[in-house]
Amino acid sequence: MNPALDVTDLRASVGDIEILKGLSLQVPFGEIHAIMGPNGSGKSTLCHVLAGKEAYTVSGDARLDGEELLGKPTDVRARMGLMQGFQYPVEIRGVKLVDFLKEAADEAGIDEDEAVRRIAESGDQFDMTRFLTRSVNQDLSGGEKKRSEIFQMAVLRPKVVILDEIDSGLDIDAVREVAGAVEAMRSPEVGIVLITHYSRILRYLSADRIHVMMEGRIIESGGPELAAQLEAGGYEAFRARLT
Amino acid sequence: MLDRSIAEHRITREPPVLAERRRQGLATYETAAMPTAADEHWKYVDLDFTMETQSLPAQMGAKMAPPTGVSRVSATVVDGFVEIDPEHPGSVEIARFDEVARRNPELFSAVVASRSDDIFLAGNAAFAGDGLFIHVPRSTAVETPIVIDIQSVSAGTISFPHIAISLGENSEASIVLIFRSSEEELVVAPVVETTLGDAARLSMTSVQTWGRQTKGLGYQRVRLGRDSAMKMGEVGLGGALGRLDLSVDLDGDGSSYLLNGLSFGDGDQVLDYRMVLNHRGRNTSSDVLLKGAVEDQAESIFTGLLRIEEHATNTSAFENNRNLVLSAGAKAQSVPNLEILCDDVVCGHGSTVGPLEEEHLYYLASRGIGRERAERVLVKGFFDEVIDKLPSQSVAAPVRDEVERKFVAAQAAGRLG
Repeated sequence: MNPALDVTDLRASVGDIEILKGLSLQVPFGEIHAIMGPNGSGKSTLCHVLAGKEAYTVSGDARLDGEELLGKPTDVRARMGLMQGFQYPVEIRGVKLVDFLKEAADEAGIDEDEAVRRIAESGDQFDMTRFLTRSVNQDLSGGEKKRSEIFQMAVLRPKVVILDEIDSGLDIDAVREVAGAVEAMRSPEVGIVLITHYSRILRYLSADRIHVMMEGRIIESGGPELAAQLEAGGYEAFRARLT
Repeated sequence: MLDRSIAEHRITREPPVLAERRRQGLATYETAAMPTAADEHWKYVDLDFTMETQSLPAQMGAKMAPPTGVSRVSATVVDGFVEIDPEHPGSVEIARFDEVARRNPELFSAVVASRSDDIFLAGNAAFAGDGLFIHVPRSTAVETPIVIDIQSVSAGTISFPHIAISLGENSEASIVLIFRSSEEELVVAPVVETTLGDAARLSMTSVQTWGRQTKGLGYQRVRLGRDSAMKMGEVGLGGALGRLDLSVDLDGDGSSYLLNGLSFGDGDQVLDYRMVLNHRGRNTSSDVLLKGAVEDQAESIFTGLLRIEEHATNTSAFENNRNLVLSAGAKAQSVPNLEILCDDVVCGHGSTVGPLEEEHLYYLASRGIGRERAERVLVKGFFDEVIDKLPSQSVAAPVRDEVERKFVAAQAAGRLG
């Protein structure tokens, strides 16, 4: 069986500056992996490059359930099953969340009755029903926006989910709530990648693997104990291991 | 050439207040000059006709098919000539100007302005055909919307429809104005004057879908009494030139004015909006949101002035103009202005001019929505924000359809970007 996400020797640069320097990562279906790294380690770039944001020169390999992602436009990657949750989801005035999801579902070939059923069911599960007829992300609190991202994925059911700093800017109650939503999304059909600076959110969900990222590479991977080490010693303790 | 004998003939037959108004209008008209682009108020607009090239309609031209999206029409105005449905809602008075001027000259004079230096307003006073007067008596609530269908159909003419709306104290009504025209080359300069008595509440929706060879020069004048409230929906989609000169006087303490509007220009349309809101009373509030899109070679202009007078304490006034420029050859000008003579106010204005936001397109792409569909969803959403707020939702569906039709045509022709 293919891993949900299989990244090999991924490199990305902007102009002459190389940001990702040969990153490799495997995320099997059914697992939640956390990628942790300090500011400037390339976490956001990894997210952009996997999602297909233009502006990077990219080489290497990134496969979703065996299919190559690189070189394809963002919307095609999303329809292949890769979806990112944004750190700062944009507000789109006038576009109602329910209509937005129906358009996305239609584009993905999900029939309308099924889309309506999923929207109702997941709307209930993630407590988003009252936001359905409001504009996408408009006037939502930080925590609500992040919950909305996860809700959208629950409806569209991607194979790989990348959550970029989904815990940033949230108070502890909101972090706990978002962590619960991430756990609720776990299923044998999806691999989840959680990109974060802080280990705080990891207290409220059970990540299967932790990857420490520095200077454009994964420098160490391990179980939940890595998060504890980070909490105790910070990133400085890991910096010494860079060669 | 406008035949002054038509005005003179009317003067001899009309009641004194109306005849006097026409006489003054004629005198002003004869000395007034056609505006030029050098005039700030007409900047960016090229009037490629003169009064000499146009004639006055001699009679009511051939009526167009009934409008879509509305129920019964209470009055139809064709080339300035009025036809009133005898079965219109009984609680509201709908009559021609001459009838109101004869029966109730005080009411007539209180609602219909007598003077103006502007050539089209003066021309309207001098040459207007019948004039339509709508009066809602005090403490009357009219349940069903009053629909007025204003058509211009005769080639080579300039017509001057005039609608006067008066809401008595503590009355309430909803009005829909539909402006249409044939595909003939013609000019129309309609005037809509609205006066709200104390505590009156009016919801009005105006939808302009003039033919593509029409030059439309619309005027709206609004006066608001104490604690009165007006909600306006303004839609501009048609015309070679579609101009609206809107002036709102918030005279009464506690009066409020809310406008949600939209325009969409394609081809070589010019859509020109000039708004002045005068806050004169205390505790008044206004909120204007006008959204426009232009594509192909179309051009839109917005100038909006919020004027807060010295004694207008505790004023709240906001004006926003948002423009989507969808093609490289299209242009949008946006000039919001504030003139604040009182320091106890909360005011804000904003304007944006630009293409669809890449960040929004990217968000939609990240959910698997392809570029074409994403553009359509975003443009629909851009306009839905105001269409959803049009006071009369009966016109929402045809307006939404026309906006979508224009956008899809631009997209299909590859004119976006």
